[in-house]
Amino acid sequence: MHPAIFVGGFVFLGALFGLQNWISEHSWGYKIHLMPLLRAWTVQYFIWGVICWLVWFWLGRSIQKAGLRWILTRIIPLSALVSLGEEMIWALFFPNVPIGRPMSYWHRVLFELDAEIIDNFLIFWLVILLFRGVDYYQRYREKEGAAAQLSVQLAQAQIRALRMQLNPHFLFNTMNSISSMMRIDVPAADLMLEQLSSLLRITLERGEVQLIALSDEMEFMEMYLALQDRRFSGRVRQEIHVDPALHDALVPAMLLQPIVENAYSHGLSRLDRDGRLSVEVGRDRGRLKVIILNSGIGLNPAPRKDAQGTGVGLANVKNRLRLHYGTQQSFSIYEAGANNVQVTITFPLQFSANPTPTLTGYGV
Amino acid sequence: MINAVIADDEVLARHKLRQLLREETEFEIVGESATAAETIDLVRLTKPDLLFLDIRMPGMDGFDIIGALSADPDFVLPRIIFTTAYDRYAIRAFEIHAVDYLLKPFTVERLRSAVERAREQIQASAAAPSSNGAADAQDSPYTKRIVFKSRGRILFLHVSDIRWIGAEENYVRISTESESHLLRETMTRLEEKLDPQMFLRVHRSSIVNLQYVKEVRTEKDGEFAVLLANGQKIAMSRSYRSRIQGWLQR
Repeated sequence: MHPAIFVGGFVFLGALFGLQNWISEHSWGYKIHLMPLLRAWTVQYFIWGVICWLVWFWLGRSIQKAGLRWILTRIIPLSALVSLGEEMIWALFFPNVPIGRPMSYWHRVLFELDAEIIDNFLIFWLVILLFRGVDYYQRYREKEGAAAQLSVQLAQAQIRALRMQLNPHFLFNTMNSISSMMRIDVPAADLMLEQLSSLLRITLERGEVQLIALSDEMEFMEMYLALQDRRFSGRVRQEIHVDPALHDALVPAMLLQPIVENAYSHGLSRLDRDGRLSVEVGRDRGRLKVIILNSGIGLNPAPRKDAQGTGVGLANVKNRLRLHYGTQQSFSIYEAGANNVQVTITFPLQFSANPTPTLTGYGV
Repeated sequence: MINAVIADDEVLARHKLRQLLREETEFEIVGESATAAETIDLVRLTKPDLLFLDIRMPGMDGFDIIGALSADPDFVLPRIIFTTAYDRYAIRAFEIHAVDYLLKPFTVERLRSAVERAREQIQASAAAPSSNGAADAQDSPYTKRIVFKSRGRILFLHVSDIRWIGAEENYVRISTESESHLLRETMTRLEEKLDPQMFLRVHRSSIVNLQYVKEVRTEKDGEFAVLLANGQKIAMSRSYRSRIQGWLQR
């Protein structure tokens, strides 16, 4: 604490007491000037301010940490000493008080002490309490900060774990598809293997980054869709629309793929033809809004037990959204018209401060 | 006839290439090597037209091999197609005028298009033996190829394959015959790099490859549009119309 603020606070308090004193004298009908009264009070509190600051400066930490023994053996004697000292200094400043009764210096000190001893102890002990209160408050703030930091770390660890949960799930399902495709159509299996490798390469490069540019997430999803298109041999019409202003918007990595995977495994995979999947990303009043719509069989039929990764993907997305955005996000899944299922996600729109440049070169 | 050498330290990787290249006509594999030293000797001995080169090899990496080979000023380097599991050398490969950069595992289609490119280049330099790719570069200030990463692949895209380019805020979308690629780039910068004899800006947010323009149309509302050979219609601003009219009347 800056000494000027500390002492200034005391002086201000003194001035208030002086004013109050003057008003009460007036209300009792005594005619008394404001200035001498104010001077006496402010000087008294100024002295208190200086003394207390010195106590804080020399003994602050010890007072804050003091046990009962220290309080009894040190602070109590100190309180008596400070009370006396304050009056001794004050008496130096006002040699004519009490007015009209000339006394020796020591008589004046004793006179003042007699009138003020209770007040003095009160002031001193309040200040001691204040010192200890400051310490409690600081320790409380530190603890609170540490707790907040811990919960952030916990949330990040959870998000990481959730991200890690997705990759193997998706990886093994695709490898299984390739394994079965190998026996039927070698070039198709070859292509799927290339596509899967590209997806893995991107995933590995991205590492554990949790928020990525929408353009990267869409690229990943388009690659995934190309893979699915191969698996479903063109039975599903895929439509993608992204607001160009949102290419650099930040989104949780692997947000869309599990939802699209879910759309395939629970809806589109049960259609023989004319399936439709649309992904639309737009802006809605400062928020980013993703709408994923798929045709299929609606929501009502009980989920097939053999469907790949039942529920894991969607629960994962919901959890990560909650961990990233708290109550600022929304996730809903509902039937939109005949047998269509729509997933709508919204969360606050954020942009990357320094978007990573893409690797590009020009030449011959 | 194209003579090719395959350099890769993994026997299965060499086997795959040999297997897939069997279907190429007018194409012969004249040797295989598994280490850097073997590759240098083999290439010096057989003087192939084309070299399939892995980057991580025992001894030296692929670029060191090229360095060693080009130490002799009289030796004509073969065309190079890199085959590697790593994407981080792509720019370097592009800068030394490699034909293509295949990320493992690649499909037969991807290999075929790379070989096709190599064939074109080899035939072109056979027709005009004095020039090679690197020397041509100095002739024109414009870009002939763009290297970038798209959907986990490295593309050495020839600008002649670009149909049209559209602006999307801080990005551009480059459309080819079968797909489109999103690049973080500005229209102005890209326009500067492209040969104006080949590409024309028809709108604040689009550039078309004149090679694929079928006609310029006046719409019902008095606006203009460029129609590409594939039926794609691209809006055109009035201010750019005179430029394309001039071109059409040539």
